[in-house]
Amino acid sequence: MSAPVETHYAVLGIGPRATFEQVERAYRHAAGLYDEDALATYSLLDSAERHAARARVEEAYSVLRDPIRRHEYDVKLGLASETSPPPGPAAVPLAAAAAAAGARPSVVVLPDPVTGADLKRFRESRGIGLREIATASKVGVRYLEYIEADRSEVLPAPVYLRGFLQEYARAVGLDPKKTAESYLVRMGGG
Amino acid sequence: MSRALALPLPRPRRQIWSIGGGKGGIGKSLLAASLGWHLARLGKRVVLVDADLGGANLHTCLGLPGPSRTLGDFIQRRVERIEDVVVDTPFPRLRLISGASDVLGAANINYQQKVRLLNRLRALDVDVLLIDLGAGTAHNIVDFFLLADVSLLAVVPEPTSIENGYRFIKSALYRRLRSAAPTGAVRDVIDASLEGRNGHAIRSPLDLLAAVEAVDPAAVALLRREIAEFHPRFVVNQVRSPADMAVGHQLVTACARHLGIRASYAGHVHYDDAVWRAVRQRRLFAVQEPDSPAAQEVRQIARSLVEGETLALTW
Repeated sequence: MSAPVETHYAVLGIGPRATFEQVERAYRHAAGLYDEDALATYSLLDSAERHAARARVEEAYSVLRDPIRRHEYDVKLGLASETSPPPGPAAVPLAAAAAAAGARPSVVVLPDPVTGADLKRFRESRGIGLREIATASKVGVRYLEYIEADRSEVLPAPVYLRGFLQEYARAVGLDPKKTAESYLVRMGGG
Repeated sequence: MSRALALPLPRPRRQIWSIGGGKGGIGKSLLAASLGWHLARLGKRVVLVDADLGGANLHTCLGLPGPSRTLGDFIQRRVERIEDVVVDTPFPRLRLISGASDVLGAANINYQQKVRLLNRLRALDVDVLLIDLGAGTAHNIVDFFLLADVSLLAVVPEPTSIENGYRFIKSALYRRLRSAAPTGAVRDVIDASLEGRNGHAIRSPLDLLAAVEAVDPAAVALLRREIAEFHPRFVVNQVRSPADMAVGHQLVTACARHLGIRASYAGHVHYDDAVWRAVRQRRLFAVQEPDSPAAQEVRQIARSLVEGETLALTW
């Protein structure tokens, strides 16, 4: 009996309801794992194995990033019907997708209430820069720094801060609503 | 004034933490000392154990002179009780069992000595016993790693450290599997893997399971359970760049995909001159420079581990 073939979703470590952004992030992580000079795999895999693993990641990504090809693939896996429309890149909100049972089973367990330092540590562990978040969210780097430093005296009113926090959480892959609520509770604004 | 209830608050059960790394010079002892200090600050009664038998210097990391009583005195039976080699530190709730750098050959304690030591350590009345392990993958080191509830594996983002880290993981896991092996035939397969007697045929625990299936299919489920319960947690020390910070998650993914091991990521600590300055002054950097990035990151790791959280990726 031959071993079951991994799905493209399994190769990238995501669930079948992953959003376009989630596919992108997972791809960056997986591709980085098999770079020529990747620390995490250089002593585990020989060159041929690393190339094969990288090719498998590229194959998975090439299908899952393309809504039409992804839909065809989902139909083949029995995850979608031929008559259902292919999802657009942003068809599923990130928060909903992260919470979906089909998403990757690992759940981020950060302290509740969460602090700015917790958020910073998580962001850095993902290799995401503040400028990257600022570009994606249109929230200024200065405010992102204030959030991470818990500078309540210079942060905006809770009604605005909530939006900033949700943008931050979305950019680093946390649940926007829960993250904002958890942070605001400590600030007395929840 | 009402009288307080006489019932004592339930204490969480004693935990053993160990911190290994396979390679020397990666800041393991400094991490151990700082983690211990933070745990004590969190209200835990902590005993740090310098199990770097033959190369002990945890006392220096804490800013202490070499204690007059060390683990060597207990191992050599110059004292009978392990409590007699536990010394106070200047920090509340934090005590130390210094290593045995004065005992030639201490790194090679025999089986009876090891069993006596492990049993007495387990019986100590503490909240957390934090064991700083020596470099390498000798059985005595790996056994301390395996007995822990929280097994931390320190690496730095350098090829040699990562390579040794993987070697350490494999050595620890194979030793655990060997102890659980139900038959001599399975033990032989594991021994052959450990000693590299099978060429390139068995390079990972996944290969090992396939080889065991060929000689004793019934043993595979048992070994799978042992592998599932093996749970090392990476700490990436001395990070300098965003790419270094991502190494922890990559190690976890690589362990899962290519070794079949469920590792996790406890966090990273920046390369920080504050650490170097504190070491030069023989002071604990967490105390000397508490606002430094490294000190804050170790504090986060300590808190996270106490609360049972790990850094996991959700996309």
